[in-house]
Amino acid sequence: MNSEAGGGSEEDRPRDDEILAFHHAIRAADAEKLEFVGDKEPLSVLAMEYEAGNPVFRAKVENLSQTYSAIRRARGDGNCFFRSFMFSYLEHILETKDEAEVRRVEKNIEQSKKALIDLGYQEFTFEDFLSIFVEQLESVLPGRETSVDIDLLVEKCRDRYISDYVVMFFRFVTSAEIRRRAEFFEPFILGLSNMSVQQFCKASVEPMGEESDHVHITALSDALGVPIRVVYLDRSVGADGKNTDVNHHDFVPTEGSNVDIPPVVLLYRPGHYDILYTRTDEDLSHVGRHDKVTGRQLVKEDGNAAAQNVEELNYVQAEAT
Amino acid sequence: MSTPARKRLMRDFKRLQQDPPAGISGAPQDNNIMLWNAVIFGPDDTPWDGGTFKLTLQFTEDYPNKPPTVRFVSKMFHPNIYADGSICLDILQNQWSPIYDVAAILTSIQSLLCDPNPNSPANSEAARMYSENRREYNRRVREIVEQSWTAE
Repeated sequence: MNSEAGGGSEEDRPRDDEILAFHHAIRAADAEKLEFVGDKEPLSVLAMEYEAGNPVFRAKVENLSQTYSAIRRARGDGNCFFRSFMFSYLEHILETKDEAEVRRVEKNIEQSKKALIDLGYQEFTFEDFLSIFVEQLESVLPGRETSVDIDLLVEKCRDRYISDYVVMFFRFVTSAEIRRRAEFFEPFILGLSNMSVQQFCKASVEPMGEESDHVHITALSDALGVPIRVVYLDRSVGADGKNTDVNHHDFVPTEGSNVDIPPVVLLYRPGHYDILYTRTDEDLSHVGRHDKVTGRQLVKEDGNAAAQNVEELNYVQAEAT
Repeated sequence: MSTPARKRLMRDFKRLQQDPPAGISGAPQDNNIMLWNAVIFGPDDTPWDGGTFKLTLQFTEDYPNKPPTVRFVSKMFHPNIYADGSICLDILQNQWSPIYDVAAILTSIQSLLCDPNPNSPANSEAARMYSENRREYNRRVREIVEQSWTAE
């Protein structure tokens, strides 16, 4: 380079690839503290995490524990949504032994493959990723030579090669779904990022380590036809400033399968996703709780709800006079 | 030894042979599929027209999960190309995805030649000249084009 070129600032500035390498190193060091997916832990570990923390979080964690029994953490490396989805969905198949569901999702995978080819992608660039996911799907069905149990599933989902390839496959499927339905997704993408649909897919979907938002979740859920529940744990407190119910949103695929509780339930805390386990009747009898759990919502029988009803009643009366 | 990276590189090579995009060529070095030589031809009707620019692509066993290291061997004068020939291009860095094959990488570098991004300069002199004195910039590019024919 010519020595008279550029001022000192450019000379001193680290190169882009150096900044990037540094960023990766920090993230990698942080991420290595946890497996891609952790062990299943009772929800009380969350309560311990916030023991000395924000009171809104503490109240919400308490509410959460009435509907959900356990958590499995995912590594925070920007791929946590996809890794959580991978494990949670495969574990669901392992437990339900639902071969029809595997055949259904394989049909959707064929559709995604066609979409990718139609969009101009070379088949050889994604076929390895696709076949690794299909292998995992087949392995969670019983009675095969390659069948796995829960321990082996955990081991496979902690394997860098398998986990990264499946995450990448989900990223291709997500990108294809967004591009294929660009008109539908465009307003949501503009709201998030001020990028075009193409730019968004290139910058925020296709590269590893790019975090997921509701656009990614909607697209993956639609493409594979798998409903996903996201439970939001944040500091928001309803309109009255006191409501510490935990909000959730169910992403239900457009092809519409009505389920009470989606097979995949994820906990979202700002910037991160983990896996949640819904309480079963068995859990309830174990802990001897008296709360009634109806599918997705807890019916409260405490004084607060009653007090709120009285307030509403007063409001109605005041309006009438 | 056949690893996922090597198997994938064989398919990259096959595609490049069967369906080569205009103005680029590339092949692995003898006995080493992890190291490729490539040539990018300067796009027609631009100051780069007629240039034959040599590059190397070094792959690791992490390919295609990680991008190759790509460097120009030919001397370059371009806002996004460093003095050592390495390239400042989003898909070779933070926007890498395995969806790109060697053909796509070389095509992207080819279009970068005529469509530089002066906002992230690797060569500040080229970036400033590109913005402020396009005539002089084009003259420097044509010098580089001529050197590309003779330099070894």
